[in-house]
Amino acid sequence: MASRIARRELRGGLRGFAVFLACLALGVAAIAGIGSVRAAIEAGLTREGSALLGGDAEIELTYRFATPEERAWMDSRADAVSEIADFRSMAAFDGARTLTQIKAVDDAYPLKGAVELDPPMPLDEALRGSDRPGAVMDPLLIDRMGLSIGDSFTLGRQEFRLAAALTREPDNATGGFGLGPRTILHRDALSGSGLLEPGTLYSTHYRLSLPPGTDLDALEAEAREELAGSGLRWRDARNGAPNVAQFVERLSGFLILVGLSGLAVGGVGVSAAVRAYLAGKTGTIATLRTLGATNATIFLAYGLQIAALSALGIVIGLVLGSGVPLLLAPVLAAALPVPAVFSLYPAPLFEAALYGALTAALFTLWPLARTETIRAATLFRDALSSAPTWPRARYVLATAGLLAALIASAAVFSGSVRLTLWTAGGIIAALMVLALAGLAVRALARRGHRAARARPATRWALAAIGGPRSEALPVVLSIGLGLSVLAAVGQIDGNLRGAISRDLPQQAPSYFFVDIQKDQMPGFRDRVENDPAVSRVQSAPMLRGVITEINGRPASDVAGDHWVVRGDRGITYAGAQPEGTHVTEGEWWPDDYSGPPLVSFADEEAEEMGLKLGDTITLNILGRDVTATIASFREVDFSTAGMGFVLTMDPASIAAAPHGFIATVYAEPEAEAAILRDLADAFPNITAIRVRDAIDRVAEMLDGIAAATSWGAAVTLLTGFLVLIGAAAAGSPARAHEAAVLKTLGATRASILRSFLLRAGLLGLAAGTVALGAGIAGGWAISHFLFETRFSVIWPSGLAIVAGGVAATLVASAGFAARSLAVRPARVLRARE
Amino acid sequence: MLMGGLERATSGRVTSLGHDLSDMSEDALARFRRNHMGIVFQSFHLIPTMTALENVATPLELAGHRDAFARARDELARVGLKDRADHYPSQLSGGEQQRVALARAVAPKPDILLADEPTGNLDSTTGAQIIELLFDLRAAHGATLVLVTHDQAVANRCDRVLRLRDGRLDTARGAAA
Repeated sequence: MASRIARRELRGGLRGFAVFLACLALGVAAIAGIGSVRAAIEAGLTREGSALLGGDAEIELTYRFATPEERAWMDSRADAVSEIADFRSMAAFDGARTLTQIKAVDDAYPLKGAVELDPPMPLDEALRGSDRPGAVMDPLLIDRMGLSIGDSFTLGRQEFRLAAALTREPDNATGGFGLGPRTILHRDALSGSGLLEPGTLYSTHYRLSLPPGTDLDALEAEAREELAGSGLRWRDARNGAPNVAQFVERLSGFLILVGLSGLAVGGVGVSAAVRAYLAGKTGTIATLRTLGATNATIFLAYGLQIAALSALGIVIGLVLGSGVPLLLAPVLAAALPVPAVFSLYPAPLFEAALYGALTAALFTLWPLARTETIRAATLFRDALSSAPTWPRARYVLATAGLLAALIASAAVFSGSVRLTLWTAGGIIAALMVLALAGLAVRALARRGHRAARARPATRWALAAIGGPRSEALPVVLSIGLGLSVLAAVGQIDGNLRGAISRDLPQQAPSYFFVDIQKDQMPGFRDRVENDPAVSRVQSAPMLRGVITEINGRPASDVAGDHWVVRGDRGITYAGAQPEGTHVTEGEWWPDDYSGPPLVSFADEEAEEMGLKLGDTITLNILGRDVTATIASFREVDFSTAGMGFVLTMDPASIAAAPHGFIATVYAEPEAEAAILRDLADAFPNITAIRVRDAIDRVAEMLDGIAAATSWGAAVTLLTGFLVLIGAAAAGSPARAHEAAVLKTLGATRASILRSFLLRAGLLGLAAGTVALGAGIAGGWAISHFLFETRFSVIWPSGLAIVAGGVAATLVASAGFAARSLAVRPARVLRARE
Repeated sequence: MLMGGLERATSGRVTSLGHDLSDMSEDALARFRRNHMGIVFQSFHLIPTMTALENVATPLELAGHRDAFARARDELARVGLKDRADHYPSQLSGGEQQRVALARAVAPKPDILLADEPTGNLDSTTGAQIIELLFDLRAAHGATLVLVTHDQAVANRCDRVLRLRDGRLDTARGAAA
């Protein structure tokens, strides 16, 4: 029976449901779109895995080349092996020196994919040279250095000829976040360069081309067993670019949560549309009751209609969310720095559909529950003016269940329970704060309009905001959330960028110098310490190693995915406790200590990893395992970009191993160029990393993340705007009536329009101000607690949010206001007689 | 509706108080009503977002009276709603709403008081009270009352009666007041 009633009711068409469908479709489309792009990138990374990796599998060693035994094992298992050395150096041309990331390759490179050069030529031809070896460079580096093809430049003591520009490097995704653009040269050309001296920071990569059908799991296990103690890092084609994959997964997970906030705003519009629809059906429902329909029949009849409409909205959203990335595939593929295979992926569509269905159910349940309060007597009396009642317990419980299901789904799909709970808590709290703010705006307007008695248009506007049927709550709720997210992004982005670009350079060193040989240290110090423009020089011996075990167990079993155990780390040593070192627990070893290896660990990281005094850490340094006992914890401040080592060991344990020195130099900006020139001339093997360049790269990356988040928030705002249009459309008859009555009383159209626009503008101003307050609070909390940076309000961004709120409400209401004014009073008034 | 400039005639000309309403713009018509007309409707047509006092004060504000609210309060007292001044229309009964509408119509002292079926939405007792009040206010303000009604007894209290049947003037009785 209920389905028959529903079918008959739906024959009337979808009039009045445009906003309902748009809100739901937009939210679902955003989530389906983000998920589809993520799936496309994941498919691309899987398909291109071996090309991105440069082989079917890769063994990476830090600081050294493979031993003959290790190499023999690789040769025995692989059809072909390619050896690559990767390190940073300074390319010199015409008196200027520029940081570059060197890839020294062998004849077998590349095992997979192809290098593309401009002018086109085979790589081996480009790297071969008669009088001097050839090299190819990233066009960005060529441009930065002012080089032309055929010019000579030097790396260390070796002169190279620039043979071509490197237009495509097939395995560049594994390069990760490099500071210098790429230079490729043949490793034979390094022999006379003085660049790979003992102690130089470099890594070697052995790419293996494996026979078809090789069991990668078994081979990895065998490598770890056969080459135990080598400190190897294993990667294979199943996940050729793990850093990229992880970044994409995290960013898309975060963006989907932002998309969920859009769906929550859409839910407000959906709820309003259903309320308005059911209000229009009061007479029908009352008639059905007089004919004997029960609560259950009526609830089901209208529930089925809403479900059918929700399904339509979700389908539209899925078509848009999956279709737009497919349509834009060529553009997106060209814009993305990683490979992507655009296709129809069911998993993200299922995720989006589930969110859509749960949100629709969550926001329509209460309005549907109100059908129970419509009695047959409504036909004779206006029962709609009765105050809204609290739904019955079963509806409240069902609502709580739906909310829990939505949050649980988001937690499962995003893969981060913590982030999901924070986001859900944030959205619920924001909606509650916005609702309270909407009520506060209403109360303020009620007080304010008495003071505006001399200005009729202002008084009418304030009376409408403060009086019955006020739009304050729906307007503040609908655009407030989107504006709040945008405001928070603006404040966080501005403060973080300020901290990185403005504050950090003031306390960060000008340069990091790495690969300084021990015998070069006196000359190095002499140059920088006698320069009056240099305020401070710090130096320390540095080795690199991988934490392989903690208390005899694999490090990842104890510390999980903590960044300290993820890759190789810088390690230093010191006899006496260095000046400025603050030991927080335990004791520093004596100056002349020569017992079993001891280590002092950074206290904050130790706490995160669950370490305590007396625990043992096994480090693989240059293929040799060193097991040290934690003797102390100390404070290390990584926020100043200065020198900071997680691990400091006693000298006796590691000083004998070949190593170089690292130094930080704090100098006046105008003296930086001269220092770099003198040091590079005297010590060509030394690599200088300009801290400002590194900061710029981090700022660039943050720009990208902030832009992606802003786009997500823009979808929320657009949904809010649709809700606003829906609210304006719903309020249009009331405004037309008000305009007609005011005209009857003698008001001109200009004064009525002024009042309507003022009303919209004031509500937008209120929504923008509340959003700015929420954005500042959110921005402060994240800056203070998460990034631990100084916070100041970014006013240009904040004022743009407030202006955006005013503009959104004005645009949404202007059309309806004009239409209300165009109707003749008699028509409106007679319609109500 | 035509007399108040709320509707435009499809043919012919409409003259009210010597003003030709036919060619007036919407705003000119609004100003004409502001200066000369007070209108009472069958469905009251109070502005729901304003209190009774604000509803009554609105035409006075539009006419530029600085003491709009004081005068509005007096008018409300005159119709017996002194204590309901700060109530919204939804908080008032039908009879009270119509009394607010009456106060609003007479407050600016219009030349013509136009009442379009003012008791149509009220029970007979309340309707009778409203008619009494309407005639009292007309007398007090000295305005010309143009009353549209289906009630013959009410029509009989008027100085001049024009009967419309199927949109045409059928009969007329009495002389202009």
